[in-house]
Amino acid sequence: MNAFQLAPFLLIFPAIGVLFNGLVGRRFVEADAKSGEKWSGWFASTMAILAFIVAAMLFFSLRSNEFHAEAVKMFDWFNIPSANFYIPWTIQVDTLSVAMMLVVTGVGSLIHIYAIGYMHGDPDFSRFFAYLNLFLFFMLILVSGSTYLMLFVGWEGVGLCSYLLIGFWFDRIDEQGKAMNADAGRKAFIANRVGDLAMILAMILLFWAFKSLEFGQVFGSAIEMFEKGEGVHLFGMEMSIGAVTTAVTALFLMGAAGKSAQIPLYVWLPDAMAGPTPVSALIHAATMVTSGIYLMVRSNVLLEIARESGNLVFGLVSSPDLIALTGALTALVAGLIAFTQFDIKKVLAYSTVSQLGFMVAAAGMGAYVAAMFHLIAHAFFKALLFLSAGSVIHGMEHGHHHVHEHDHGDDLHGVPEGDKHHEVEKFDPQDMRTMGGLRDKMPTTYVVYMIGALALSGIVPLAGFWSKDEILAHGSQNNQVVYWMLVVAAFFTAFYMGRQLKMVFFDKPRHAAAEHASESSPLMTRPLIALATLSVLGGLLNLPFLSESIKEANHGHPGGIWLGLEGWLEHSVQAFHLSEEGLIHLPHTPVVLSLPVAGASTVLAVLALALAFFVVYGKRPKTADERDPLQSTPIWWFSILPFEWFYMHTFVPGFKWLARWSADTIDWAFWHDFVHNNLIRDVFRGFANFASDVLDANGVDGLVNGSGRFTRYVGSIIRKTQSGYARNYALGVFLGTVILLAYFIFSY
Amino acid sequence: MFSTVTIDWYIILSVTLFTIGAMGVLLRRNAIIVFMSVEMMLNSANLLFVAFARQLGDLDGQVLTFFVITVAAAEVAVGLALIVTIFRTKHSISIDEINSLKG
Repeated sequence: MNAFQLAPFLLIFPAIGVLFNGLVGRRFVEADAKSGEKWSGWFASTMAILAFIVAAMLFFSLRSNEFHAEAVKMFDWFNIPSANFYIPWTIQVDTLSVAMMLVVTGVGSLIHIYAIGYMHGDPDFSRFFAYLNLFLFFMLILVSGSTYLMLFVGWEGVGLCSYLLIGFWFDRIDEQGKAMNADAGRKAFIANRVGDLAMILAMILLFWAFKSLEFGQVFGSAIEMFEKGEGVHLFGMEMSIGAVTTAVTALFLMGAAGKSAQIPLYVWLPDAMAGPTPVSALIHAATMVTSGIYLMVRSNVLLEIARESGNLVFGLVSSPDLIALTGALTALVAGLIAFTQFDIKKVLAYSTVSQLGFMVAAAGMGAYVAAMFHLIAHAFFKALLFLSAGSVIHGMEHGHHHVHEHDHGDDLHGVPEGDKHHEVEKFDPQDMRTMGGLRDKMPTTYVVYMIGALALSGIVPLAGFWSKDEILAHGSQNNQVVYWMLVVAAFFTAFYMGRQLKMVFFDKPRHAAAEHASESSPLMTRPLIALATLSVLGGLLNLPFLSESIKEANHGHPGGIWLGLEGWLEHSVQAFHLSEEGLIHLPHTPVVLSLPVAGASTVLAVLALALAFFVVYGKRPKTADERDPLQSTPIWWFSILPFEWFYMHTFVPGFKWLARWSADTIDWAFWHDFVHNNLIRDVFRGFANFASDVLDANGVDGLVNGSGRFTRYVGSIIRKTQSGYARNYALGVFLGTVILLAYFIFSY
Repeated sequence: MFSTVTIDWYIILSVTLFTIGAMGVLLRRNAIIVFMSVEMMLNSANLLFVAFARQLGDLDGQVLTFFVITVAAAEVAVGLALIVTIFRTKHSISIDEINSLKG
């Protein structure tokens, strides 16, 4: 089977969905809310599912094509022969991009379906699905592009969709009168701009150095030049290939820091939770934020050349090590901040930042397969956790409405007296302090949430255990510093998940809303069950013993139906082959289960869960107002430290200053005052004056008046012949006749 | 006797009549006289038409004469009407007093 030519449909289906929901979806919903929502939501979901089917067909085509990558050209995009600049719009179908496509469209489809239930009753139902499909469209461009420029189009496009969806409820105002959703969207956009600047610089550098932006050509010439020890000429300077790749990958790190929420730009992601929960699950947990990791894995050749060349960033560390350290530090810090959050979604958001740190660290250490493995596993269980959290929020809101309809009294039994007056105050359905005891109220959500939380904590045999351990095993062999940071981060992960589980599902309800919470509709719980299944079975993708044994059974050649992520991605991660050829020394760890590492991390995870469950949060909190046990410890400082502060006190004032400066100086003083007033207005006036006073008054008027005067002058002479006497005219006629006759007679 | 009257005689007579008519048009002040002078010029032309038609044995000239007479009759009708109207307004038919079209 060969279905490569179907690849464009991967982009066409979501585009159709955008057009449908963007142009006519609203009319359906407005005409009849019930059937309209069905049309709008299911149309969008169908488009996502169709894209998933196309991705699956590409998967099988690759398999039958011996895993050889295929490029499907759609059209010429840029073609400037004089600059030797030619970029076609080509879809790259290789094992790496197909793996990403499957994750994006697969998890995306489930979240689309979930969102039909979640967004039910929203007046902007169809707008939401238009954005969601637009996001899929751009995300698929990002992962399927064959050039850095196409990747960048997707990169910017998903950033736009993220902005639109974070600010989806842009008209919501909080108690302080701030438009917090719109602010969160702007924050995400600005933080991403910083990273995007680095991406643009990296692309410019790449094009100058290699005269191309196509993945294959860039990597090819980079390898060739590295082999020959050649350098490139940039700005009249000779730069070694190692220096170029180091600069490019360091810039990629900054780009990824923006998109994948790493230190120091991660501050936007927790705020991004202001968007609807399906968006948090799809964009800010499962797919978009992983594009930085995809970028690193895709650029593995550049990373390994940078590592091999020995060039250092600022003379300190090589750029892959910088990436690994940044990732590990992010994993650690974000894990700590997650302790201090009360918002159910904010905990998950910081957890996402932390897990992205794991992936970035893995990519930086050269464990590309492990990074992708964790990316995929994380997509499953984090999407599951977010969607379950959405279900919890839904249930809480439902309970809250219920309480209000039946107006307190006997409904409040078992709830402390102090809570009654809370009813009048603003109720936050996302605050974990108001939850508790939801285990009995929402059984399905409880079970799937438990699975997701355990998978995230790294408990055998769920998906998170295998993927996290692969990263840890790699770290223990190749980078001790990163390894220990990640081990501590993994411990934190289990701890804050234990805290969350306890606060949300166990104990007694701490609020009337929690008392009356009810399970969500099947439309929402069924995708949760599917994702829970994936979270349980996700480890099978790259089981340590399985892929090895299959390799052996196939005489060292991976194959058969089941070959594992390692054998699958091997065909796209070129650095593996270069390492085999001896050009570079990839710090590669085969997929084996390292018992000490796995055992230690499992014990730590169980320990952390137990610590959270029975020790720190064993008896408390009993009421919604009670202080958190951690609140008196130094750990709490992380809730205000240090990067949020950093963002608010450097980025924001800096940005505001820059904006004001450019508004006052560049735009107003220079542009309006100088350019508009002096350059444009005065020059224009000068021309206008010259035209009216000189050209018009003397030239045009002179011509017109002159011809009038001339005509009058001639007329004053000729009018004398008009005497009014008939005989004079008759004489004229006679004389004329005589002259004509004379002329005719004498001319013969 | 007839044969002694050649075409030349007719031409001389016609030219004489035409000249008298033209002089009348140019020099006389009475509108009626001017009018009659115009008729005389038309008739001198008629005479010449007939003379040449006879000379050349061709009836075309004779036919044309009838046309001229017809047109002249129409002209007289219009012209006399004009003169009558002018007389009513100006109480004079002296063409020297009709010069309102002076430029």
